Amino acid sequence: MTFRKALVVAAVALSAACGPKDTSIKIAVAVPLTGDMGTEGQGLRRAVELAVEEANASGRFPYKLVAAPYDDRADPKEAVNVANLIASDPRVVAVVGHYNSGCAISAAKVYARAPVAMVSPAATNPEVTAQQNSADWAGPRMVFRVVPTDDVQGSYAATFASKKLGKKRMALLHDKTAYGQGLAEQFKKTFLEQGGKIVSEDGISVGDKDFKALLTKIKNDPSKAEGIYFGGLYTEAGLLLKQMRELALKHPFAFISGDGSMTFGLFDVAGDAADGAYLSIVGVPADELASAKKFVEDYKARFPNDERKPFDHFGYEAANIIMAAMERAGGPDRVKVIEELRKTKHQGVLGTTVFDDKGDTTSKIVTMTRAVAKKRAFDSVR
Amino acid sequence: MLVQQLVNGLTLGAIYSLIALGYTLVYGILTMINFAHSEVLMLGAFMALGLAALLPAIFGEGLVGLAGMFVLSMAGAGLINVLIERFAYRPLRHVSRLAPLISAIGVSIILQNGVFIWISTQSLTFPEPVAIGQVEVFGATISSLQVIILAAALLLMAILHFFVEHTKLGKAMRACSDDIQTAGLMGINPNYIIALTFFVGGALGGAAGVLYGMNYGSIKYNLGFLPGAKAFTAAVLGGIGNIRGAVLGGFILGFLEVLASGYIPNGAQWRDVIAFTVLIIVLLVRPSGLLGEKLAEKV
Repeated sequence: MTFRKALVVAAVALSAACGPKDTSIKIAVAVPLTGDMGTEGQGLRRAVELAVEEANASGRFPYKLVAAPYDDRADPKEAVNVANLIASDPRVVAVVGHYNSGCAISAAKVYARAPVAMVSPAATNPEVTAQQNSADWAGPRMVFRVVPTDDVQGSYAATFASKKLGKKRMALLHDKTAYGQGLAEQFKKTFLEQGGKIVSEDGISVGDKDFKALLTKIKNDPSKAEGIYFGGLYTEAGLLLKQMRELALKHPFAFISGDGSMTFGLFDVAGDAADGAYLSIVGVPADELASAKKFVEDYKARFPNDERKPFDHFGYEAANIIMAAMERAGGPDRVKVIEELRKTKHQGVLGTTVFDDKGDTTSKIVTMTRAVAKKRAFDSVR
Repeated sequence: MLVQQLVNGLTLGAIYSLIALGYTLVYGILTMINFAHSEVLMLGAFMALGLAALLPAIFGEGLVGLAGMFVLSMAGAGLINVLIERFAYRPLRHVSRLAPLISAIGVSIILQNGVFIWISTQSLTFPEPVAIGQVEVFGATISSLQVIILAAALLLMAILHFFVEHTKLGKAMRACSDDIQTAGLMGINPNYIIALTFFVGGALGGAAGVLYGMNYGSIKYNLGFLPGAKAFTAAVLGGIGNIRGAVLGGFILGFLEVLASGYIPNGAQWRDVIAFTVLIIVLLVRPSGLLGEKLAEKV
């Protein structure tokens, strides 16, 4: 075979391999799909899929929409890789993601250069949106989020600890991540303002397993802490609870943490030791929202075998807000969608969502819950 | 508080020691570092999790079931280690010193990803072997879990000591570790003894994996990495190739970590830095580890 002939054959084979051109429009779902945070990400993926399927069925769009999942493995480095992949795919209109604040902060910088809009359903560190106002921001302001931030959540938990539980001295722990440390610092700020005292502050690492030495120190410290506030995720929170029980650090010694620990995985790691832990969650759990009743039923009908995760209704709402913006923009145009997202006034499962000039939702509701191991549930504390 | 911290350190150290023994036994015979050992430990924990679901039906609940789970997981982990040696190390034994090392890293990556892909990408709950209760001793709270871990580790170490020092096979192992070629000339089958060493080391690693799972209540595909690295450090600290050194190194490392996070302000962040600084200092003063030179005998 001559070289030219070979070239022709190769070209034909290549065009055949491409097949009929897929013209569907994508909404990217960039979340952890594997690893310990994978269950949360899978929940968000299902929620976005549900929203997209409903939109396709309603015939609102003259083209087919798909939810395209990307796995950031809860790792900021991987999030940047994924963000580059998403930004370079012209069929992606906007992104629902990321789950972890650290991932959202670094990926947003990539999306800004594209530019493509990012609506986070879960990242709560204030910096996720605040970084857009810095002078060296590479693109338009295109980061939005449908959850209240940690300055609201951390200070709510601090008020709860001092006013509701009557705690005067708390020990502070965090996992040194953007999310965990940020949350712990907000807690500290408000707790000090309320006249409380932070008796110790320690950082741990994500993936650490043994906290007994640290807990022993807190238990025997002469300053007598009355509880622990932990900024971090359920894997470490679960081990802390488990080892607290082994060291007989029990009620009324309190364990308070945030939305990163409030997930069913906590019961898998801590077992019965999770009982009585206080965990705040941004917004209101879907089960207690009248406006989310239809979503809860539809989700159950569409995914009968899957547990609905605490952030799924935020993921569903983020996708719906993006689709509403696409509709107003008159087409899947990335820049127009960003402009329309800023004008959002969406009536949906979360009630009315409006973004302030930072891109944050104007809703600042936080709910405190208490873990009940036997029911595998988090009951709201009023 | 000191008593409590010592108890915490003892439990941690017991697990490190058991893993360190696996590194040191293999090194003693082949002067090779089995980097796949951390995965043997992980697989031991996963086998125990599988058995925990099956065994109560056969052995019943309680200590008998627990012992059955232990012994079978150890045997399984030992067997895996033997297979790794047979297929990934033995063909490369006489090629160069670097080739088996790279092969070991390869095996480690394959096993870890195999579990990640086929078994679970997330943490799995490891059942509690017994109801957890506490006893107060000298102001320290000791949980039943800590007692089980310590007792099992010490028992295994005693059995190993007896096996190496007082049995014929142990004698053959010591002979191979002294000089594998001469031992071969004296009628010992080196391949058999090497396989046996891998089995014993793997079984101890498997036991450590089970204890690790019990202690922390959840297991994951990458659980072997961190304790594996720490235990390897412990083996080097004690003098790699030396059995007593591995045990000593494991306990020292356990205590160092606990004391660093318990007594130094914000020490939890610095714990690994402190532990490894001590390691470097020890190696500067005694390059062959704490017990590396005193006993000429390796194994």
